[in-house]
Amino acid sequence: MKEGFRQAMAWLHTWAGLIFGWLLFAIFLTGTLAYFKDEITHWMQPEVQAHPLDDGRSLAVAQSYLQQQAPTAASWFITLPNSRDPGLSVMWQDKVEPGKRGTFIQKILDPVSGQPVQARDSKGGEFFYRFHFQLQMPYPWGRWLSTIAAMVMFVALITGIITHKKIFKDFFTFRPRKGQRSWLDGHNAVGVLVLPFHLMITYSSLVIFMSMVMPAPIMASYGDDSRAFFKELFPNTDNAPALGQPGQLLPLLPMYQQAREQWAGGHVGRVAVNNPGDVNASVNVFRAGSDSVVHDFGNTVSFSGTTGELLRVSGEPSLPAVIGGSFYGLHMGHFAGPVLRWLYFICGLAGTAMIGTGLVIWLGKRQLKHAKSAAMPFELRLVEVLNIASMAGLMIAIAAFFWANRLLPVSFAARSDWEVQAFFVAWGLSLLHAMLRRARRGWVEQLSIGALLFMAIPLLNAITTTQHLGVSLLNGDWAMAGFDLTCLASGVFLAWAAWKMQRRTASQPKAERARGLTLKQEAG
Amino acid sequence: MLLALLMCYAGFTALCLSTDRHHGELLHQKPSPTRRLGLRLGGWLLLIAAIWPAVLAAGWSQGLVEWCAVLMLSALLLVLLLPYRPRLALILAGLSLLASPVAAFALS
Repeated sequence: MKEGFRQAMAWLHTWAGLIFGWLLFAIFLTGTLAYFKDEITHWMQPEVQAHPLDDGRSLAVAQSYLQQQAPTAASWFITLPNSRDPGLSVMWQDKVEPGKRGTFIQKILDPVSGQPVQARDSKGGEFFYRFHFQLQMPYPWGRWLSTIAAMVMFVALITGIITHKKIFKDFFTFRPRKGQRSWLDGHNAVGVLVLPFHLMITYSSLVIFMSMVMPAPIMASYGDDSRAFFKELFPNTDNAPALGQPGQLLPLLPMYQQAREQWAGGHVGRVAVNNPGDVNASVNVFRAGSDSVVHDFGNTVSFSGTTGELLRVSGEPSLPAVIGGSFYGLHMGHFAGPVLRWLYFICGLAGTAMIGTGLVIWLGKRQLKHAKSAAMPFELRLVEVLNIASMAGLMIAIAAFFWANRLLPVSFAARSDWEVQAFFVAWGLSLLHAMLRRARRGWVEQLSIGALLFMAIPLLNAITTTQHLGVSLLNGDWAMAGFDLTCLASGVFLAWAAWKMQRRTASQPKAERARGLTLKQEAG
Repeated sequence: MLLALLMCYAGFTALCLSTDRHHGELLHQKPSPTRRLGLRLGGWLLLIAAIWPAVLAAGWSQGLVEWCAVLMLSALLLVLLLPYRPRLALILAGLSLLASPVAAFALS
């Protein structure tokens, strides 16, 4: 009975893992990249220079710019620069008749000169972040598909734990250079050792889309009016309407300082001003997400814009909000400093590696049975092609995205869309290539192309911008330098993988020939 | 986070040595029952005690997250080092035990 149960779980693990493995690999890898979303954006918009941080100067600069450009806007949003994202972002919404939503206009300012920076049009790291849960599909299909994938991932984790017979006995075991055995060892090692992260990231992703996946409790209490639910959950942006009389907005800096006092020195992430030109102007100061592990959806201090009077301080969140917020916060990792952020990144890579090794094992086991026949059955060939395109091909696609960022002219129309196109075109080509080439050759060639593309990125950056490694390292621009160095390291890793694969390809025919020889001798 | 990392790495190495197979691979002999118990106890103690410096440095919520992170990282590092550089894995464990008091001194 027990063995039957374990076998059933193994079956589920095998097939759930296979069907969703390719998608989960892409979700995990792009999600891992999203931990460095701001740094990637910084690299992809090199026109935005990094300056030493000074919130007072940034606020003053942003306020005077908005006062000039959009005195009658419905609202302003000022996002302050931080150590990860050096740009001072201002956004405003045009005033339109009530009931309609005005268009948003966003500019990035230089926090010292106050002039808008003509940054190239690029989605930057936001692309990976969006892709990892929307999958470039129209709303809400991508979110549904990625949520289903997360559920399957959760099932695969649980069944994997049940299937794994000797978690504690094999805890420290990894035996390299033993073919299938090594793949399984590696799959188990990254699975078990980083299990807390896998469970956290998978479960929290379900919590994040809770209201989409399980809307029944909200519907039961609020009926069809789900807006009422969210209004009650996030009350802090409920501000007084405009009176229609012109008013003078006070400087924002004193309010910023008062808010920080309220939070015992906590940091400010964003400042929003409603009806900036009106008597009834109000200012909401939002706390930075990097201040606490528990994500708080609206930790704000509100002021009257014309009198400077403190209107409201958001209260302590309730216990369920803290629990929900901590899963949200743990998943996003906004609170993580540089070291912890790298650990998050490594954990994400470990998750990606777990999925990748799983896919390789699935195929390897079944290929053994057909090692002697010349042609592989169609379904194995299909899995093989998809393995190559979803792993090596995705790496090429990511590199192509970065290359497109540097090679497309800055004035190109719909430039950021073309960067995304480059990503998908490269991915599609790799699929085509995998179909045309024989398995091992396909792997070796795609890994080599990926290695070349990644290793050349620091060079490309040096040729096309003024911020090559020498400059960024000297200026202490760690986001820029770290990106170049990480690309270089990824390239070296891919080259190593290609070399390993090449060596195995070279040794295999020899072994086969040797076997053929002995058979002939026996026959003779 | 450094002290927690050193303690976790040393702790996992002790736990690893408390198994017959790895003790044999690394030190070429079977551990005596008392030694096995001592290693196991010491390992668990180090892993759990590593919560303290992490929490002390970064507060409860962030400290616990950091502890989990170094726990996973140190185990991963050890398991990757063992087949390729077993001696280095042991030397690193010894060094982290030696460096722990220094790191603790820097923390307080």
